[in-house]
Amino acid sequence: MIQYASIILFVIGIYGLFVSKNVIKMIVSLNIMEIGLNIFIISIGFVGGGAIAPIISSTQDLGLIFVDPLPQALVLTAIVIGVGTTALALAFAKTIYKTYNTFELDEMEESA
Amino acid sequence: MNAVLLIVIPLLAAFISIVSKKIAPYLLLVVGLFNIVLLFFLENGLVFIGGFDVAMNSDLLGISLLLDTYARMALWLINGLILVIFCLNFKSYKAFSSILLLAMAGLNGLLLTNDLFNFFVFLEISGIAAYLITSANKKPVSTFRYLVIGAIGSSLFLFGVVVLYAMYGTLNMIVMIQAIQASGNYAEVILPFTLMFIGLGVEAKLLPFNAWVKGVLGHSNTLTGPMIAGVYAAAMSFVLGRFITNLFVFEGSLLIVVTVLLALGILAGDVMAFSSTKTREILLFSSIAQASIVALLFVNGVIIWAVYLIIANALSKTVMFLVINKATKDVGSDESEALRGLFVNNKLVGLTFTLVTLSVMGLPLLAGFVIKLNFLTQLAGIGQIVLIAIILVASVIEGIYFVRLIVKLWYPGESEISVKYNYSFKAVFIVIALALLVFGTYSTPLTKLDNTIDTVMEVVNNG
Amino acid sequence: MRKLFGLLITIALGVMIILALDKTSAFPKFGEVNLQERISNQYLTEENVEMVGSANIVTAIVVGYRGFDTLGEVTVLFISALGVAFIFGGTKQQRLDLKFKPNFMLRVGSNVLLGIILVTSIYIILHGHLTPGGGFPGGAIIASAVLLLYLADDKFRSNVKGFKLIEGIAGSIFVVVGLLGLVFATAFLENFLPVGTVGQLLSAGIIPIIYVLIGLKVGSEIAGVVDNFLTEEESA
Repeated sequence: MIQYASIILFVIGIYGLFVSKNVIKMIVSLNIMEIGLNIFIISIGFVGGGAIAPIISSTQDLGLIFVDPLPQALVLTAIVIGVGTTALALAFAKTIYKTYNTFELDEMEESA
Repeated sequence: MNAVLLIVIPLLAAFISIVSKKIAPYLLLVVGLFNIVLLFFLENGLVFIGGFDVAMNSDLLGISLLLDTYARMALWLINGLILVIFCLNFKSYKAFSSILLLAMAGLNGLLLTNDLFNFFVFLEISGIAAYLITSANKKPVSTFRYLVIGAIGSSLFLFGVVVLYAMYGTLNMIVMIQAIQASGNYAEVILPFTLMFIGLGVEAKLLPFNAWVKGVLGHSNTLTGPMIAGVYAAAMSFVLGRFITNLFVFEGSLLIVVTVLLALGILAGDVMAFSSTKTREILLFSSIAQASIVALLFVNGVIIWAVYLIIANALSKTVMFLVINKATKDVGSDESEALRGLFVNNKLVGLTFTLVTLSVMGLPLLAGFVIKLNFLTQLAGIGQIVLIAIILVASVIEGIYFVRLIVKLWYPGESEISVKYNYSFKAVFIVIALALLVFGTYSTPLTKLDNTIDTVMEVVNNG
Repeated sequence: MRKLFGLLITIALGVMIILALDKTSAFPKFGEVNLQERISNQYLTEENVEMVGSANIVTAIVVGYRGFDTLGEVTVLFISALGVAFIFGGTKQQRLDLKFKPNFMLRVGSNVLLGIILVTSIYIILHGHLTPGGGFPGGAIIASAVLLLYLADDKFRSNVKGFKLIEGIAGSIFVVVGLLGLVFATAFLENFLPVGTVGQLLSAGIIPIIYVLIGLKVGSEIAGVVDNFLTEEESA
């Protein structure tokens, strides 16, 4: 049940992207969306009943219950990709501000 | 020889290219040629990557690539087109060579990969490369919009992939198809498939996820127009076709929703093109309609003619965008009134443009006609009369606006305009127009291949 | 109007996703995952762990089994860094004016901190196959050290050309290591070195090598992005 909270976060991000007209706010919404998605990915791999992180100290540990390591690997990739997109979006935001002197999309003349 | 080289050699070249900016353009030329030649020597089949003992251990733990005739045709088209478009823009857009190398690696990865998460990674690489390519338009706001919409699309795609992983415990596409077939409960997969379809629909310009197209292509130049409307559109149609044919299961009401959306996309695209007076907008709306037709063919299982349609469209759109964007740059406006009489002084360019446009409309003696005739026949064979009617109506609208455009471009207006096309541009136009003419009159080679070019299902059934 | 419309669409989307997931029996409830049904179960078998030699199974997946994803991931960062530099353009750059003037204490203090941060990052990168961490967090920490220098000194410019060099070379070696796998083993990015004992610093074959390369690459890329955001074209 608790993983549905991450879907709510995801949807909040999308709402922000729909409604917001400010470039910086849109980038923040983008990040909220991505964080929601990342939490969802991690939650997919959670195993109840005292499972531990998939890091062992020797092969004797393998009898223990671990959580699913694959979603953790995926989320690492997803986070890094999110960083890349955000950096690029911020660079565009800086260019937009330089060109139009505003972050509000409504106040710009360039038509869509 | 290994299919992974198609992806990693461009990557390696891109990494080297930032150390020395001067050799970057030449690296792109060499790597592009290398990829095209390499494709002749590669064998069809699965290629495994990563892991610790691939030979002994089960290979499903890592990532695999799948090369078959379908992917091979797509790869030839993509790599060849990138090379040609870059050569034509060699002087003006040298700085883009590293980005084009990465775009090449990303698109090759998209077409080859057999792993859903790996597909997402390549979707992001090629997506970011596309945002950077469109920054050549100098319209940061429309590029920013493209970035935001693209990011939402790929996030939705990733969401779908993760839900599929949670259900079936694998990311390998072939194993996934087997698992879905074994479970047989298609109602379960509606949500992930819808999310993934939306994600791909954004890049493939399907209605209603294509809000970015107008801003990006409406201000395009001789690099961005052909790259986005030719190369990227073709690659995305190919991967969408792969997913629709093999992974997605559209049944019952979902099938109706998808069909209606795509049919609406065809009509809306053509109607918007009809009502526009800007040449670049006419072209971009027409390519939206074409993308929807291709997707509709894949949904109905007409694979081979959809592939030919993608190739013909990519070549035609490359020529059309090159002609119009060069003229727009020299004249300073893309209103069709302003470009009146463009071909008066450029008879050769005018002739090739006319041929290419007639092929897109599907007039006899041109490749477009053969393709249209064949896919309509196949659609009739499976009883899709309504779809045929919709495509024919769309063709009539398309015919009207394209003829109107060609007539305007041929008849001189009040002021004479002079646009100079280089010999390299002309050579490309002539080759593509001739190819369309040859395959239109002599279509036997086209019928040699059939729907079995996509071998995913074969691999699935043989375990 | 637009806000209401957006609200309705997003609520519909959220409700649709949650209801569909809730109704689907194949989608496991939170915490009730059966690893036996998943591919990941095989990453955790004893013979596979011994074959990999990495104590951190996540690292084994990220760099070993799914190393190709990681190459793609590094490429995404690479193209973003390239893109940021490309968008800002211009070869002659100068520092942006900071709103505050850094004082002597700040400058000296930051130099002391710098060493500690760098040592931490090296530790994290080298122990990527043993403990949580690895090339990505380690590289980000290196970049944070560079950011510290930028913030503590308003005249400071790092050697951006050097970063570009490290970035390109580290990336190229990553690909070359992968290609060596193709030569000495059977597949791209396949391990071709002895794996050693699980839990030792020198174990897990090519994983530590790749993580060092990733650390260098990520560090120089993010540092390059930091430099790009804190400079502007010279208005001469």
